[in-house]
Amino acid sequence: MVTYTLKRLGAALLTLLIIMTITFFLMNAIPGSPFLTEKSTPQQIALANAKYGLDKPLIVQLKNYVVNYLKGDLGTSLKMQEGTPVRDIIFHQDKFIISIKLGLLSLAVAVILGIPLGCIAAYNRGSWLDGFLRVMTTVGVAIPGFVLATMLLWIFAVKLGWLPTISGQLPDFKSYIMPVISMSFYYVCYVAKLTRTSMLDAINQDYIRTARAKGVKTKMIILKHALRNSLIPVITYLGPVTAGIITGSFVVESTFSIPGLGKYYVQCVMSRDYPVIMATTVVLSALVIFMNLVVDIAYKIVDPRITLTNKED
Amino acid sequence: MEETRKNLLEVRDLKVSFFTPAGEVKAVDGVSYTLGYNEVMGIVGESGSGKSVEAYAVIGLLQNPGKVIGGSITFEGEDLLSYDEEQMRNMRGKNISMIFQNPMTCLNPVYTIGNQLMEALTCHDDKISKEAAKERAIRMLELVGINNAEKRVEQYPHELSGGMRQRAMIAMALIGEPKLLIADEPTTALDVTIQAQILDLMKDLQRKENTSIIFITHNLGVVAEICDKVSVMYAGKIVEQGDVGDIFYDPQHPYTKALLASMPRLDEEEHERLIPIEGTPIDLLDPPQGCNFGPRCKDCRKICLTKKPPYADLGNGHISACWLHFMDGAVKKEEA
Amino acid sequence: MADFSKVSPFQVDPSAIEEAMLLTPEDFAPASEGEKESMVEKRKSVSYWRDAARRFKANTVSMVALFIFLACLFFAFIGPKLIPYSYGDQYRSSQKLGPGEYSEGETLVKNASANFDVFYATALQPGSLTALSKGDHYFTYKGRTYAFTCEKNYEDVIVAIPKGESEPVLIRQADIDPATGAVAKSEPIAVTDTPAEGATELKMVSRVFPHVFGTDSVGRDLMARTMYGARVSILIGIMAALIVLIIGSIYGAISGLAGGAVDFVMMRIVELIYSIPEVLIVLLLQVVLREPLQLWIDHSDSALAHAAGALGSGIICIFITFALLYWVTMARIVRGQVLQLRKQEYVTAAIALGAGNKRIIKRHLLPNCVGALVITTCLQIPSAIFLESFLSFLGLGVSAPMASLGSLCSDALPTITLYPYRLICPAIILTVIVLTLNLVGDGLRDALDPRLKK
Repeated sequence: MVTYTLKRLGAALLTLLIIMTITFFLMNAIPGSPFLTEKSTPQQIALANAKYGLDKPLIVQLKNYVVNYLKGDLGTSLKMQEGTPVRDIIFHQDKFIISIKLGLLSLAVAVILGIPLGCIAAYNRGSWLDGFLRVMTTVGVAIPGFVLATMLLWIFAVKLGWLPTISGQLPDFKSYIMPVISMSFYYVCYVAKLTRTSMLDAINQDYIRTARAKGVKTKMIILKHALRNSLIPVITYLGPVTAGIITGSFVVESTFSIPGLGKYYVQCVMSRDYPVIMATTVVLSALVIFMNLVVDIAYKIVDPRITLTNKED
Repeated sequence: MEETRKNLLEVRDLKVSFFTPAGEVKAVDGVSYTLGYNEVMGIVGESGSGKSVEAYAVIGLLQNPGKVIGGSITFEGEDLLSYDEEQMRNMRGKNISMIFQNPMTCLNPVYTIGNQLMEALTCHDDKISKEAAKERAIRMLELVGINNAEKRVEQYPHELSGGMRQRAMIAMALIGEPKLLIADEPTTALDVTIQAQILDLMKDLQRKENTSIIFITHNLGVVAEICDKVSVMYAGKIVEQGDVGDIFYDPQHPYTKALLASMPRLDEEEHERLIPIEGTPIDLLDPPQGCNFGPRCKDCRKICLTKKPPYADLGNGHISACWLHFMDGAVKKEEA
Repeated sequence: MADFSKVSPFQVDPSAIEEAMLLTPEDFAPASEGEKESMVEKRKSVSYWRDAARRFKANTVSMVALFIFLACLFFAFIGPKLIPYSYGDQYRSSQKLGPGEYSEGETLVKNASANFDVFYATALQPGSLTALSKGDHYFTYKGRTYAFTCEKNYEDVIVAIPKGESEPVLIRQADIDPATGAVAKSEPIAVTDTPAEGATELKMVSRVFPHVFGTDSVGRDLMARTMYGARVSILIGIMAALIVLIIGSIYGAISGLAGGAVDFVMMRIVELIYSIPEVLIVLLLQVVLREPLQLWIDHSDSALAHAAGALGSGIICIFITFALLYWVTMARIVRGQVLQLRKQEYVTAAIALGAGNKRIIKRHLLPNCVGALVITTCLQIPSAIFLESFLSFLGLGVSAPMASLGSLCSDALPTITLYPYRLICPAIILTVIVLTLNLVGDGLRDALDPRLKK
């Protein structure tokens, strides 16, 4: 277990390093200089470049990034909030916290609603409830998040006036409702669909027949024998869900005018604020990698057949 | 005088159909037998002959689209078909247990052996303590010949070999001390040496625990080893039934004979060539008007084409459903 | 002989035996082989594809979805030919119209068309460049050339042929009664042999058609744009799915066949790509690639660059993104299939016979993977459409005047309070396309892989 965790951490660091390299070369490939404005002279640009170390060879710059990151120094912003340490922008300003709050909430909603809905559908297979849930989930995975977000905005904020049009800094409970629904609905539906399928799959397995032959109650068969087995594919899906929810936050934040990290990232890319681009990419990648690790460990807890040391398919 | 003695299980004219989109499949079409206390009956037949479906009907595990559409199942004088799901559930595991074919897939991979054994007790008895249940589970595993039972109860199915798992399955089926054990091809998925061990174990346990067994198999050799009597099934019907000796040494139905001729026998000196049964089993969606075995029978007569044969009483509880017994105006047994 | 001293077993029915005793020796004559065979009717065996097609046809939901999707294809590819508007044309008099509305000028023309076959109307002309301008004009009708000169109010001109007559006349919009469409006054147009120097030729024969989805702020017909956007989205989906199919299946097949260290390294690369939050990289890529691509499109003369130019750099970026990041799922599936199939006897036999890797892939593996490939590709299309619409929504996909369903939604967002239909129409089309594609994909999976059906 310990060696496994260490191995995984090593792999995660390596992955982050590669992501850093890719990001570094990509952002340096964005045409133009961050300091290029209508008024700036070549001398000014050169001066600014020298100040932030952008005049050094690329490979040296990359090395500096890596060394500084290992020291915990994420650099300072070049453009968006000139001179502010990137660490403060990401961790001490509301942007990151808002995005994380929204993301975790949506992830929780997807799991907490999706799995039971899938179970209910599988348990009542063929009933009107199953039919309704099937239609809902099928349509749900066909509606893009931004469509849902704007529709909600139009109906509940504009037409009915029940909810605020701008969620802003998410001051109260009401302002969370629409962003979280728009971010999680797709995943609620997907998780419910997945749970239903794998539940039905599990119900048809031989060990369910064995449990029935033992005289186990139907409720227990579903909750004990079928559910745990059917969770395996659902857990596998949670890694991509995390990445997907981060993605989803980009459009939802722009639709509901939430000053989150997603929107900020797009602005940084546009204005070539290298240190912020790098830090955001690394932090979000680390989040996804961390979730993948959590998923693998959850996997091990649910399915004893999986030995973490030799995970080969 | 079979009828006068009280039987553990009486199945009369049982009919089970599967209602598929393509039509009704009569998987079991009028099966009757009795099983006494402490008796072992074999049900033999090819795949698809309805032998497993018949057993599922007895234990109440038929799944949609299968339905019992006729007949009766009487267990210790109680009509099982009149039981609701909760009553049936109480029967299962306590009075009637079942072992399945594939020990690899029949144990839940995510729970320990002990957990699954204990569940068979706790789901019928709320009051039993965890410790007592675990104690029983360990004793039961020892009884079926699993060494190191204390360690094994904590292990997961994938950590056990196939033979071990089947032993655990048997332990799980017997832990509730059932009066009837239905074994559905329990040795088919195992290799030959393990098969013999498992058969010995079952024979042994049957004597010790006084359990009646319905032993479902396509392997006649297995039947000879363990059973008191045998029912031979073909296309949803029992074609021949009788004591194990009668069926083996004096088979009367052409299907039984063909089945025996197709199997290697160790008890015969001269090694005869094995003769396969030609053709394939009939399509149960569209059964023939006459004898079900007619199309594959080497000795098919005109009457077999149009009418299903009745049972002929050949004495000693030996019956066979074949027109050949009624030739020449008298019920006749073929000389061996 | 039977022992009748005992009680018969209960299965034995005495009446049936009595009946049986009445049978004659003829009944016991041996049956012929033909008679035995005629007892059972053989069911015809069906080929895999036939069987799959039958299963798909039996799946009502998927069939309905397929028909709706075909209707969407019709809407996207044939539709633009049926309406007189084009996706990029701006109609100055038709700005900000609601669904099904006509602009003022169009209403007049529509009303007038009770009395005239409208031949040319400024109100029906897009933009200002092609519209009637001040000066000399001519047109040809039934082999004759007509010429006229506009001095003022040229935006109101309608050239039309009165019903039942053959000579076109010139009408001013002001002369049409808005309610009845009656024309108060019309001028004849002179026939000439040679039009004046520098005269503009009128070619358009225009119909009046309602703006079914309304128009946007610059007077573009939204139905035309939605049709065009749907076409772009569907094409992007199909192209991206094909790119994924090709790269993914080649990569997966090589990895699965090579095995060992090669497989190990290739799969670590796949895992790495899985760990990258792709959207961040996609956003970066989009910004990075846009300018160089535009440069290449503008300065290269190759056919490829021209094709790319027609598509626009945004779409090319999406394709590149798919080619770089989105093939991993396909590669995994193909590798899994290959590993599974490699164990099959016929592949072992082929290897034993000395068949090369290429041959094994071509002859044995790909044909057997085809089911999985078809399903995954089919389900890849909607996800590509999703990604494209997402990028376009963020302003990184196609650029105006081109449109995709995502960019249409994005364009409509700022004015959602005033013109919700501008969002609703493309959003519904987008949802319907994705929904039906998903359902068709599900149906294909059930049909092609019956084992998966539960």
